[in-house]
Amino acid sequence: MLSLRIAARFLRSSPAQSALIMAGIAVGIATQVFVGSLIVSLQAGLVDQTIGSAPQVTISAAEEGDPVTFTEAIRELIAAEPRVEPGAVAAVRDASALYSDGEDSAPLSLKGGELGGLDAIYDLSGRTVAGTPRLGDGDIVLGVDFAEKYGLVPGDAVPLTFAGNRTARPTLTAVVDLGAAAANERQAFVSAGLPRSLTGWRADEFSAIEIQMRDPFSSAEVAAEWRTAIRSVTVTEWQAANADLLTALQSQSASSYMIQAFVLVAVALGIASTLAISAVQKTRQIGILKAMGLSDARAGRIFLWQALLLGSGGTLGGLALGFALIWSFSFVPLDFAIRPEPGFIALSAAVGIGVALGSSIIPTRSTSRLDPIEVIQSG
Amino acid sequence: MAEPTPAAPPLLVADALEKVYGSGDAATHALRGVTFEFAEGEFASIIGQSGSGKSTLLNLLGLLDTPSGGHVRYRGTDTGSLGKPERAALRNSLIGFVFQFHYLLPEFSVFENVAMPALISGALPAEDIRGRAVETLGLLGLEGLEEKNANALSGGQKQRVAIARALMNRPALLLADEPTGNLDTANTDLVYDLFREVSKETGTAFLIVTHDRSVAQRTDRVLEVRDGELVADERNRYLG
Repeated sequence: MLSLRIAARFLRSSPAQSALIMAGIAVGIATQVFVGSLIVSLQAGLVDQTIGSAPQVTISAAEEGDPVTFTEAIRELIAAEPRVEPGAVAAVRDASALYSDGEDSAPLSLKGGELGGLDAIYDLSGRTVAGTPRLGDGDIVLGVDFAEKYGLVPGDAVPLTFAGNRTARPTLTAVVDLGAAAANERQAFVSAGLPRSLTGWRADEFSAIEIQMRDPFSSAEVAAEWRTAIRSVTVTEWQAANADLLTALQSQSASSYMIQAFVLVAVALGIASTLAISAVQKTRQIGILKAMGLSDARAGRIFLWQALLLGSGGTLGGLALGFALIWSFSFVPLDFAIRPEPGFIALSAAVGIGVALGSSIIPTRSTSRLDPIEVIQSG
Repeated sequence: MAEPTPAAPPLLVADALEKVYGSGDAATHALRGVTFEFAEGEFASIIGQSGSGKSTLLNLLGLLDTPSGGHVRYRGTDTGSLGKPERAALRNSLIGFVFQFHYLLPEFSVFENVAMPALISGALPAEDIRGRAVETLGLLGLEGLEEKNANALSGGQKQRVAIARALMNRPALLLADEPTGNLDTANTDLVYDLFREVSKETGTAFLIVTHDRSVAQRTDRVLEVRDGELVADERNRYLG
């Protein structure tokens, strides 16, 4: 461990130089941790906002407007699929209605289904701003913008008119914030029975079967498999409908990787140049140590230890700085929270130390090759 | 001085040493066929003018450099057959160096500088290293300076610390290259008196390179190098 002792002493003998390079590594690793966590969280937030509270795979009839029959085969197919989020399956019937309070009127898009499945997909309980969502016969859940516009509160009757002048007066049980203005202004949830009473469909006939996946990005694969398994229906999934969003996410990832890669290159160059300078500064000491019998390998290890000490110190500082940045961003009002991923943090730390070690190759080699006689002859 | 037993090989043998720098027309012969034997405990000097090859000879004898021809043998072992790590280990255990410049490590204390050869060898436990270093510093009149930084000493003290360092592993041979070149007359006298005293007390052989004949006259044997050749090998007359 003499090499480590000498390395530590060399670093301590130039405190400003050591502190500066550690600060450089720390800034690099902090950028790595912060930018990486930011992008991952931002993307997770974007995906969650876009399709987190919406069906990711939808099974509907082959012909638009026709009902799809929720057969036992489809039921079993969905139940047997482990990639489906448990409970997040809703057989829904859609209907259009006109709300009218005597003075104003506005169109409403009704989605009829069981509360359990709809809640799992649309997170009605989590998004409730007033009341308690219930979807029994004669109940309705409205978007927050619509409810505010017409001064509706839970317990109020909501007069609706359907095609053919049929009417209904369901009771508002809850007001929900669906996260998008268009949905908050138009979307309503009712029991599956209300649309059925208008269409006259059979009990196993629905507008669509909506499903959420455990991993939203598995939707394309699952949809393709189901298309092969059940040919008489149309299976759509969110990724095909949101190609632009996916391209944007991929571009964002690519730019994030670029930033991180260049930061690492800058860190590596910084460490390498500092160690190279240090190796030159310590040539005389290394030469005399070798004259005293220090082997080439042990002399080389001095700079390997220096790199490890600088890398570890800088990386620890960088992690602390990265967490501090993430914490400070918790005070900035954002639509998503930056969550540090333990795996990514560990990878960043490993990369930091690895880059430091890699940067020591040149000074380690030159030190190992240094002939003590060069030092002694040059005085 | 005790004569070595006839059966034991001499401490050091320089056998037809050659050193050539460069090749072809540009080749320079720094040493030509230098041959001599050196016994355990001898106190000798190598004298020569600047550029005569005396420092080159010292570097070869100190295993810091390899000869272009000939052999360096330590206690019968031909060092030419040794690899770099073995040569480094032999340097550490058998040879101490004192140069014109002290070459102390400014990052370390006096104690650490002196202890460094023992730390490199790793053969002694920490307590023994401490004891040996304090004893060696005492031998050179440097008691109480152990914890001082090497940079905080005077020129004479630094050179004495360098001598203490060279003696730390109790080498069989101390090679000194113009060891008092940077010192005033008083310190020069002090250093040679110390060399003589340490040689008597520890049995360490001394081989001192100098260009100063008056310095060489203080040693028991004078080897003279001129133009790369050993031209004289004399016992000092004053010793009879």
